[in-house]
Amino acid sequence: MGIKQTLNLSYSLAKANFKLRNEGSYLGIFWYLLNPLLMFSLLLLIFSDRLGNNISQYPLYLLLGIIMFNFFQKATLESTGSILRDNGLIKSINFPKSALVFSIVLKTLFSHLFEIILFGIFLIIFKVSLVGVLLYLPLLVFFYIFVLGISLILSAMTTYIVDMGNIWTFALTLIWLGTPIFYAIQGQTKLFYINLFNPIYYFITIARDLTLYSKISPFWMIATMVIYSLLSIVIGILVFNKLKNKFAELI
Amino acid sequence: MIKRIIAEKISKKFKIGFRKNQSILEKIVSLISGREPKRIITALDNVSFSCNSGEILGIIGENGSGKSTLLRIIAGIYKKDSGKIQTNGKLISLINLSVGLKERLTMKDNIFLCCSLFGLNTKQIKKKFDSIVKFSELEEFVNTKIYQFSEGMKQRLGFSTAIHCNPEILLLDEVFAVGDEEFRKKSVKKIKNFLREGVSIVLVSHDLETIKKYCTKVILMEKGKIVNYGDAKKIIKEYLKDEARK
Repeated sequence: MGIKQTLNLSYSLAKANFKLRNEGSYLGIFWYLLNPLLMFSLLLLIFSDRLGNNISQYPLYLLLGIIMFNFFQKATLESTGSILRDNGLIKSINFPKSALVFSIVLKTLFSHLFEIILFGIFLIIFKVSLVGVLLYLPLLVFFYIFVLGISLILSAMTTYIVDMGNIWTFALTLIWLGTPIFYAIQGQTKLFYINLFNPIYYFITIARDLTLYSKISPFWMIATMVIYSLLSIVIGILVFNKLKNKFAELI
Repeated sequence: MIKRIIAEKISKKFKIGFRKNQSILEKIVSLISGREPKRIITALDNVSFSCNSGEILGIIGENGSGKSTLLRIIAGIYKKDSGKIQTNGKLISLINLSVGLKERLTMKDNIFLCCSLFGLNTKQIKKKFDSIVKFSELEEFVNTKIYQFSEGMKQRLGFSTAIHCNPEILLLDEVFAVGDEEFRKKSVKKIKNFLREGVSIVLVSHDLETIKKYCTKVILMEKGKIVNYGDAKKIIKEYLKDEARK
């Protein structure tokens, strides 16, 4: 099967999964917005007085951080068990297994776009220019590539290491707390150096600069972000291709 | 005549976990290391055969003789350890009829999804859609979610979808003809049409009557090896004689 057919299958799977997600649900796609909105309201309530005091446009700063992390978390966590979940299919039909992972990241992208629309509404409420949202789209391409690479690695490794799901859930908690999502680094040197190795830090910081503060981040940050994206997808494809031949036997 | 499938000296081994009497220390070590004691079983041993266009090849044998493993190796689902396998033409494997079907989606959505899994693009699916629905005789249920379908209806849908995806090699695991008598007759007619068009079919089954009736050649497998290969009627006769002797 060629790339075109793999993409076609990924789209069909994503569409089916998206329909399944909303099937029989009364609120349908509003559930996608409800989760980040609740998280946003709660964190805003708790932190706006102290942590958010010195951060300009704190509610928007917080919301963008939450929805970007949400995309990363949902896509990677669901991908972790994707190969194991579809074991019947993998054992019965020879099809490009990567389409299972592509479809999850694509489906999560659909819901991320709804969240971005919500973010746009908040920009209007807080009287911030919407141009930043348009500038966010090219950044989203790199973010998507990065998330896809990580998802490919995790899905392939879970077939070999069953505990991967638990390990990744724990790792996500660490990334959530370690990344300046509801706080700012502001002079905390140790935290800053740690975050230099945290790709999510780059994506979120560059996105905030673009959308909230109408400025372009330093070149070294943008370059590092691009390198992280490319590294992630290259390693993801290599690992997945190396391990995929044994999937049907291991699940 | 095209040789649709050529298999030469195919071997396949599996590492399988098994329980044995372990000491407490051994149990702790395997728990910490995550390594279970493994046993190697030979699923296929030096298997060679070929299948021409317009032929139905039957595979028979007891449970665990390697029939389904062979089918999965032909389909490319399992990778062989050694040997050579070559397939010429578009391959559709029907190892489980309801696989790929999503219970909470409508029949229409399921047709689109399954056809995509068999490698068709949206344009091709739209072209085939009416024909799939008509063949399955489920016109009234196009917008019904298939968790409300009976098993027979699901089988008809799965079979109908697969045979409309332009197969040149069709691999069937115990799913030669499904549904009621009427639908079975229609399926057999369709399969005969396929054979005239040069499609090859590999059929794994325990139903010797079906194999005898429709297959041109038969492979008899035992413990991963081909113990007999040739004319269907002759091999089944010999097999039944051996079974009676046991």
